Amino acid sequence: MTRRWPEQTTVLVVEDDPATAKIIQVRLEMEGLKVLVAANGMEALELLRQEKVDLVTTDLMMPAMNGFRLVQEIRDLPPPKGRLPILLLSSNHSEQDMVRCLAAGADDYMAKPISVQVMVERLWRLYERSHRAG
Amino acid sequence: MLLGSIMQYRKDRRNRHRIARYQAWEGQLTDYLFKKGYERGGFGQVAWSDRWLFRDFLARYQSTIAGQESELLRELYLSMGIHATLPQRLRDRDPKVRAQAAKEIAIFRLDEPAEHVPPPVTARPWRWKPGVRMEGYLELVLPLLDDPVPFVAHTAAQTLTHSRSLTYAAPVLAWVMREELYQRERLLRVLEGFGPILLPWMKENLESPDQNPEPWILYALLVGSHRHRESQPRLLWLLGIPSVDLRASVLKALIILADPLVYPKVLSFAASPAWEIRTQVARALGVLGGPSAVPDLLPLMADPVYEVRRNAAQSLVDLGHSGVSALTWLADDPAADRFARDIARERLEWADERGHM
Repeated sequence: MTRRWPEQTTVLVVEDDPATAKIIQVRLEMEGLKVLVAANGMEALELLRQEKVDLVTTDLMMPAMNGFRLVQEIRDLPPPKGRLPILLLSSNHSEQDMVRCLAAGADDYMAKPISVQVMVERLWRLYERSHRAG
Repeated sequence: MLLGSIMQYRKDRRNRHRIARYQAWEGQLTDYLFKKGYERGGFGQVAWSDRWLFRDFLARYQSTIAGQESELLRELYLSMGIHATLPQRLRDRDPKVRAQAAKEIAIFRLDEPAEHVPPPVTARPWRWKPGVRMEGYLELVLPLLDDPVPFVAHTAAQTLTHSRSLTYAAPVLAWVMREELYQRERLLRVLEGFGPILLPWMKENLESPDQNPEPWILYALLVGSHRHRESQPRLLWLLGIPSVDLRASVLKALIILADPLVYPKVLSFAASPAWEIRTQVARALGVLGGPSAVPDLLPLMADPVYEVRRNAAQSLVDLGHSGVSALTWLADDPAADRFARDIARERLEWADERGHM
């Protein structure tokens, strides 16, 4: 199925490893998306306050503010930001962590190592679903 | 002082060089992965003197990136031809070099068939020995299981399990069994690398549990960590072996599998003379039986061993309303067994202090 991202759709990538962040950024930009990069939860919240964001993808283990905390902070924001679709990425494969991620309010979860191709597809699904829900 | 300054200067220079190279390669890498991936030489030239730096640069991505991009990273590594030095590095005097070589085999999946782009022989003929093939690298890792340096042996075991080839199941298992008992549960993580395919292999190949129950303890724990329901009949059979540690491990696995049909079998161990077994039974009954397990948990609340009582109380809490009511009743009943009353009070007070059960 062809993905047709509306113009200026913005993804906030929260990732403390610059090398991984760069790869994700370039791949998402190839999709025609606008990409904002934050190195931790604090930076991400700052960007969320200043910019219009449509999707968030965040790493779980990060300094300053981790992914769990970030998801909770986003969910505490007033709508529409509090309802942003969030995809969590984690290098921990435990079932407990998956449950914890989803319980914290993330919409989807991917365990590292991730296929960037699959990640784009999941982001598209999240975007579509959130727009259908209005 | 002077020597220290020189060393620091050299270290700083190396770091600056590394940062500069990494920055340049990051840009080249995204181009290679998403634009020129299938072009020969799509990444551009990497100086031969930077080959180890480049290997470390590529290895950083293998734990985060999978799929098509990971394949391209692997091809890039192979195109450097440095895998040809692996046999030599696996025998190096420096343990760090040996461990790194073993790790590279796992990271870049050098156990897989050599369907890779051949190294650019014309560009760097002195590096590539045409006779060197990728298959067989795991055979070279095998002797490292006997390495005197523990982290080298551990890395070797991880590489062998990462291959998911059961050819290496026996030597890796033997390595785990040689370790101290307290280390084994930790080493279970290594064995998990084989995936659930190891379980049928163990069933077929392990000695009888009557003669040697110890490897079967690992089997039971692995059934739990893989949630391998197909192995449940074998677990129930293992409960018949009179080994305390084995029975306790089997019960741990049954708790994870959480099949209510095994409840009567588990209950039959509630009066076991071994407290390790009763401790597991106290956890298992709550998980397997739900609220109907309350009457069976109450006698365990009066067990002479604290650990058993603590587990029974926790099971009651986990059951929700019916379990908490039983705890409250026990705590307030002056006629109740003293052990049972004390542990019920302790658990309820603990909940009061924390504000939740």
